[in-house]
This record gives sequence, C-alpha cells and structure tokens, in this order.
Amino acid sequence: MIRNQFESAGLRVPSMWSATSSMRPCIAWPQYSIMLVLLLFTLLPTVAAQEPQRDPAGTATGDKQQAVDAGGNSFVVAEPTDKTAPDYAARKKAYDEYQAQAAREPLATKLADSVGHLRIGTNFSWTLLTGYLVLFMQAGFALLTCGLVRKKNTAHLMMLNFAAYVFAFLAYYAIGYAFQFGAVAINAAPVSLGGTPTLNKFLIGSGGWGFLGGKGFFLTGPGYDAGSLCLTLFEVVFMETAGYIIVGAICERITFWAFLLCELFVAGILYPIFGCWVWGGGWLSQLGSTMNLAHGYVDFAGSSVVHAVGGFCAMALAVILGPRLGKYGPDGKPRPFPAHNLAFVVTGTFILLFGWMGFNPGSTLAATDLRISVIAVNTNLAAVAGAATAMVFWYFRFGKPDITMACNGMLAGLVAITASCAFVSPTSSVIIGAIAGILVCVGVLFNERVIKVDDPCGAIAVHGYCGWFGAICVGIFADGTYGSGWNGVGTTAYLGNAGHGVTGLIHGDVRQFLCQLIGATLCVVWAFGATYGVFWTVNRVRSMRVSPEVELEGLDVPQFGLPGYAEDMISAEA
Amino acid sequence: MKKIEAIIRPHLLDAVRAALQEVDVRGMTISEVQGYGRQRGHTETYRGAEYQIEFVPKIKIEVIIPDDIEDFVVNAILRSAHTGKFGDGKIFVIPIEDVIRIRTEERGEAAI
Repeated sequence: MIRNQFESAGLRVPSMWSATSSMRPCIAWPQYSIMLVLLLFTLLPTVAAQEPQRDPAGTATGDKQQAVDAGGNSFVVAEPTDKTAPDYAARKKAYDEYQAQAAREPLATKLADSVGHLRIGTNFSWTLLTGYLVLFMQAGFALLTCGLVRKKNTAHLMMLNFAAYVFAFLAYYAIGYAFQFGAVAINAAPVSLGGTPTLNKFLIGSGGWGFLGGKGFFLTGPGYDAGSLCLTLFEVVFMETAGYIIVGAICERITFWAFLLCELFVAGILYPIFGCWVWGGGWLSQLGSTMNLAHGYVDFAGSSVVHAVGGFCAMALAVILGPRLGKYGPDGKPRPFPAHNLAFVVTGTFILLFGWMGFNPGSTLAATDLRISVIAVNTNLAAVAGAATAMVFWYFRFGKPDITMACNGMLAGLVAITASCAFVSPTSSVIIGAIAGILVCVGVLFNERVIKVDDPCGAIAVHGYCGWFGAICVGIFADGTYGSGWNGVGTTAYLGNAGHGVTGLIHGDVRQFLCQLIGATLCVVWAFGATYGVFWTVNRVRSMRVSPEVELEGLDVPQFGLPGYAEDMISAEA
Repeated sequence: MKKIEAIIRPHLLDAVRAALQEVDVRGMTISEVQGYGRQRGHTETYRGAEYQIEFVPKIKIEVIIPDDIEDFVVNAILRSAHTGKFGDGKIFVIPIEDVIRIRTEERGEAAI
C-alpha cells in the first residue's frame, strides 16, 4: 500500500490513484471538493489582501507546488479561473479530479511536499555553489589586471580590486539589490528558488512597465528571506563583476577616493537599474508581452547587464580621466606600457574561465534545468574559439601572437557567449566566440589608435564591445530549442509550435533580433551616458586624477605607503 | 696591475668563467647590465603599439690581474665569449693604482 503510494508520487498519479482508491472507505469526493472550493473562496480575498509571508528560516519554502516533472508539468493542478476560456471545462475537470485524488491520497500529497522541498534545496545548492565560483573570479580579475600594468602600480591594482568587492557589496546590500530585484516576483519570479513572493513592488512603474524595484532595502523585511537571500548571493557576485571591469580601464591614474565613488555608483545605481529592466521583471524584459517584440529583451547571464554596463561605464571614466602620462607621444603615436607579469595574466584568465563555469550555467538558478550541460560546453567553446582567433589574428597582423591579446580573446569569447549560451547550439557558440576574438583585437586597436582612449587592460574592448555584440547574438543565433515561455511569452506555443523557445534571426524571428538590437544599444547609452554625466560633474568639482608626480613615481607608495614588490629591509643590527 | 672589464653575452658567462679559471684568475665580480652598441636594439609590438627595445641585457665581468698575465686573460675572454655575430661585447683594459685586502690590509699584487 505504502509502496503504491510512493510510486504514485513518481508522477504516474492518475492511474495509480484510481487503482488504490477502491481499497479505501468510499467517501463522496464531490462534497469534499465543493467544501474546499467554498473554503478557498472565503479565504482568497483575505489572502490577496495580505502581504506574502517571508521565510527567513527556510522551513516554509518548497512544497508540492514546486514538485514538477522534467517537462515542467506541475504535480498540483491549478484551478482554472477564466470561465470563458475554450478549454475551461477540460481544465476544470482535471482540477476537480486532482482535488478528489488529493483528498483520497493525503500521503501522496505529503510526499509531493517533500519532493518540492528537495527540488528547491537542490536548486539552492546549485545557485549558491555557482555563486561561489563567480566570487572566485575576483581573484582572476585581480591577477589579470595587476599583471597587465607596470610594476610600480602593483599595490594600487590589488587595492582597487580588493576595495571594489568590499564597497560595492555594501552599496548593493543597502540599495542595489532592492532597486534590481525589489519587484522580481511580479513578472520574473525565480520559481526555482521558491519564487521570492515578498519582492513584489515597483518603486517606479507598474505591471509590464516597471523601471525600478522597491522592496528589500538593506535586506531587511521582505529581503530577509531564505529564497531571496539565495538570489542575493548569486546576484551580488554578478554585480561585483561589473564592478571590477572598470578597474581595467581606469587604473594607473585614478585617486582612491574617486574610485570608491565609482564603485558605489556602479553597485548602487548604474548596474541595478539596467538589471531591473532585464532581470528584475522590468520593462525591457516585458517588451514581448507589452509591445509584441518576440520574447522581450533576453540576456541569459549578462553580456549586456553585467559586461556591457561595466565596459561602457569604464569607457566613460577612461574618457574623463584621459590617457596615462606618456601614453601618447608628441606626434600622437601610442606608446606601449608592457605587462609586467605574464604569469599573472594567464593565471588570472584561467581563473576567470573557471569562474565563468558558475557565471553561465549557474544563471539557470536551477540544477534541475538540465540545459546546464549545454550551457557549460557552449561557454567553453566560445572561450577557446575567441582565444584562437585573437591569437591567429595577431600572428598574421604583427608577426607574433601576443599573449595578452590571446587572453583578451578568450575573455571576449566568454563575454560574447554569456547572453546566448543557453539558447544556441555548440556550433553557433564557436562562431560567436570566433567573431568576438576578432572584434576584441580590432576594438583594442581602434581604442588605442583611432579614438585614443587609454584602456590599460582592454576592458572596454573585451567587456563593452563584445558585451554589446553578445546580446545581439541572441537575436541572431538562438535556435528555439530552449526558453519556451521566457519572459511570459509563448508558454503554450510560439511560432506555431508548442514548446518553441527563444529564436533568432537565422531561425526566423526578426522581432527578437530587433528587440536585442534596441536593448543592447540602450544598455550602451545608459551605461556610458549616466556615468559620463555623473563623473564629468564630479571631476569638475575635484580632479579624480592623481598628480603627475604621483603618476610618474607609481601610485603604490604615494597612495598606499607600500610598493607592490618591497625590497627586504636591511638593518644595521643583527 | 690591470683591471679587465668585459661586456659579454649572458649565456656565455659560464664559458668565460671556466676559461678565466684556466689562466689562473682567482676572483671575479659580475653584474647584470643593459646597454647597446653597434648591435642596437630591436622593434617589437605590444597590444598594437610598436616600441624599440633599446637596451639589451648583458653581463659585465670585472677582474683584477697582475700585469704579466694580461694577454692570457684577454685571449681567454676572446676565445670563450666569441660567436662572430653582432652583440658579442667588448673588453676594456684599465690600469689599477693599488689593491688593498680589507681583512689583512695587504697591498699590491699580494692582495689580488
């Protein structure tokens, strides 16, 4: 008997229930269901008026509502509400049957509660662990950027990377998270983590036109919830990534106070606002529902939300700061400041690649979403394709492959695949990565020779240009195999097929391409424009740049009192 | 007494040291230096910007010797530091007034 019930929880519910029901004392199930419905009707208004309860202990997150099969079909049959729908009668019948069966098999329903909780637990583990991988990218960025500069600025680079994590985290804790995800439950509830129902208010906008989230400030109240904080951990390390990106373009000349201001601005305002539009259920993501633009703006893991925001913020800051002293000769010809530690550069790049295995596959927020294997392989393929084309491009163009450019090529491939990694095939990933590898080389040369924006580590080309390109790639290469119902579009059918997902230009969805073009370009305008406006003003009030003497000496000792590579102290006494 | 200063290719240091030992030179001082002569530097590119490597890494050897073995020492260096290509380096011969050993205060050739 018990065994039967366990099997029945294994999602062969209807037949098993009808088999076991005859063994139980016969109860008139229609009466039960009527009572239940009546009870629900009396309860519904009060429930709707109440705020959803937070769950800091995590003991109320994950029940039978989250018990679903591989196809996403729920164990619980929802009650149909629209009486005019053509399939109302059939759905109502299914619902009534479910209610009756649930009343007759309470143990199966309890088991489904456990299954649902376990599912949420699995997804928590996945999301947190991949978040830790992304956190480790901090070490990669620190090594990469430090290796790429002159050794007189080693301590400066290490301090920037370190302080970025610290101060950006605090700003995100205070306001950033609430701005970005304060309304996520309205349009983009992370159901894999329990849905975070408490984050349900837009500060600006409403419905499909939300512009700014408004709950969860200081992670108190509605933010003090197990599901929400799982999301917080994962999202804060993403924000940190945008935070480090700017280091690569503004280092070797920015004062420490100005840098801290930049970090607070990125973490508290710049990043969360665009993040809200795309990931927080904001208006860009809902363009599919509101303006019939395919699935709305889609950025899976943040080519634009994280990388283009960071890259173009970095560009605005680099323009305001101006090039490093001596970067351009009197004739305007660029001079090189060669990397001082290639071992750091390569090690840092590999740590970033490793961290990206959390960045992209983790963005499912669900280990039960088996697309993660495709995402992981796609991510790696784009990385190696980008590194290969950058290496070969430099080999042909300058006679020798430049190792720093090869590393930039790998990162370019990673940045470009980040938006589309879940929606494209491995073949498309190689193509996207390969194009990004060339794009980053051309971008670095363009910055250095044409517009003369001094970018010591190539952050603008890697994260800015390739981030924009990556977001567009969703609208070109997405093949429709994944993302059915994305942003609430096409839950039953899309392009005439049930289960059809996000689709790009070459697979027949022009609107998706247009939407990506609009969204990615808006991202560039927002990140560059907002940063330029704010920090142009700051720079007018007080120069954000160190004095020429400090810059020539190296920032280590004047700013932090210690050189990166101090000589051993020689003392007269033994 | 003479001081022999020689600028040589770094990878030939061991060969030169062995050759000097054969002609009974008992001590030497070396330093890592950078410089250029007729060889000049060479052009490289870093992230798309061309630059000249003006100064090439070299090793400078300094040995102090009695006058009578000057020819042997110079010949030993010539033999061991020679490749025949640009950048083999130079030898300078400089007269020395006095040599003093700090430990014993000996002077002259006895202090070498």
